[in-house]
Amino acid sequence: MSVVELRGVGKRYESGAETIDALKDVDFTADRGEMVTITGPSGSGKSTMLNLIGLLDEPTEGTVSLQGRNVTDFGEDERTEERRSALGFVFQDFHLLPMLTAVENVELPSMWDTSVDRHDRAVDLLRRVGLGDRLTHTPDELSGGQKQRVAIARSLINEPEVLLADEPTGNLDQDTGGTILDEITRLKAEEDLAVVAITHDEQLVEYADRVVRLVDGVTRT
Amino acid sequence: MSVASLLWRFPSVLMAWRNLGRNRLRTALAALGIVIGVVAICSLGMATVAIEQQATAQLGDLTNEVTVSSGPDSETEGVTEEQVAEMRAIVTDARVIPQKTNRTTLEARNGREARVSVTGVTDANALYDLTTGPAPERLQSGALISNGTAERLALEPGDPVEYEGRIYRIRGFIESEHAFGFGGDLVVPVSGLADQRHYDTVTIIAADGDAAGRIGDRLDTRFNTEEDEELRVSTFGNRAQVGGFLDTLSLALLGIGGISLVVASVAILNVMLMSTVERRGEIGVLRAVGIRRGEVLRMILTEATLLGALGGLVGALVSLATGMVLFHVITGDATAALGWASSRYLVYGFGFAVAASVLSGAYPAWKAANESPVEALRG
Repeated sequence: MSVVELRGVGKRYESGAETIDALKDVDFTADRGEMVTITGPSGSGKSTMLNLIGLLDEPTEGTVSLQGRNVTDFGEDERTEERRSALGFVFQDFHLLPMLTAVENVELPSMWDTSVDRHDRAVDLLRRVGLGDRLTHTPDELSGGQKQRVAIARSLINEPEVLLADEPTGNLDQDTGGTILDEITRLKAEEDLAVVAITHDEQLVEYADRVVRLVDGVTRT
Repeated sequence: MSVASLLWRFPSVLMAWRNLGRNRLRTALAALGIVIGVVAICSLGMATVAIEQQATAQLGDLTNEVTVSSGPDSETEGVTEEQVAEMRAIVTDARVIPQKTNRTTLEARNGREARVSVTGVTDANALYDLTTGPAPERLQSGALISNGTAERLALEPGDPVEYEGRIYRIRGFIESEHAFGFGGDLVVPVSGLADQRHYDTVTIIAADGDAAGRIGDRLDTRFNTEEDEELRVSTFGNRAQVGGFLDTLSLALLGIGGISLVVASVAILNVMLMSTVERRGEIGVLRAVGIRRGEVLRMILTEATLLGALGGLVGALVSLATGMVLFHVITGDATAALGWASSRYLVYGFGFAVAASVLSGAYPAWKAANESPVEALRG
């Protein structure tokens, strides 16, 4: 059973008289332990697709399933709960909160969850991405690569099944990007994750177990 | 670190505190607006309390008296013995002191003369404060004389004075009731004015201004009708008016203070809106990683609340200092500012500041919490 499954998914934006089909009849799956990259030119619908998988947006057609459960018609609050428990996000711009330390940024997703103390896991994750000596540094004291490692640690704090990455190496140089991808690949195996990454970076494609190409909202394998 | 670990249990407070720390100048300016609003409310409120206390202290001696004299429709030249008896029957909770008055010229052995008003009264100690000598419970034989007159005529306690052919020994000195030296006062037993049949005035001394007002009303309804004013009953009565005026003044001043707090809360609204718009992407990230709408709402509301509490606290402290200066200037007693009557304005001011901030934070918080994460992430 696939962790992530899209069936016949379409997404249509209507602005005034104009109708734009960002995605058309997309079928997609991702399994645990595999890394799937979605590539394609700008405006091909990559981000829309990642937002649908990440339950940040709702499709206008088709069904979205997570761990075999149909989550298409979930309301905003239910989708939030799913993101909180099953999904992890890594962004191109890292999106760390500047007033929090590295370890606090990692704990952020579980911060309001006072029933569990994720501090030890946060420290452990930062050690595993090689930032054991940067725990109390704030983002402006970290390099780009270090920030992205903090972001990766943050995405894993809730022990998710799926890691969603939006151009994770887009703001990094070739070498740093390579180490980040090594990190993701290693954690993918250690945590038994399904990794879905969107990119137009050829380097990232090399790390992928599978590549899905999107052109004008339609998948081409 | 210990503060941080304590705050960690209250994530909204932790996040709010860190967010406020990000732009200290903006936080300080927003809080300053609140400080000014609170100081305006508190110090204006405390000023009216100080003015009220001062006014009450000055008017206190006068306002509890009811003065009764013969009315225009009376058939007698004064207040009759029967009317006094009736007053005593009606007014059981205050002293009824009938007086007869006249004027005379006193002549001293050194040849100097003094024009004085003569009051014949039995309960002299209730009407006059003696500056020298023991107050006689009932004035039976001696006389009281005002300080100025005594000085002018070189009279000592024990010296005799003559009025209407009778000699009285001076038993004590009193403050003159006539402020500008238009003669003095001589107080003798009421028997000394026996040739006047009726009393000229009756003074009733009540516990306080309100009681005096009630006594005045009772006497008025008993003795007078619409057409027939048998007795002229006058109470100082202005305490209610003075109190009413002070209440209006205090409302007006609080209104002005309130306006400045409204201005301050608009400033907070603006600051909170700006800061949530600026952090739009960040709030999108929070929502994306699974922070609930209610949690984002709480975080931003807590920010506004902290701003209000911070401004309110500083404002209350500045107001306390201002209030003490005001009380020192107006009543001469700075510590009176600590009394509940005035210090409650500090509590009100702080409460209003927090309430206004929460109200101002509500819209930005609601707006940020309910934005679609996708839109917010787009920045």
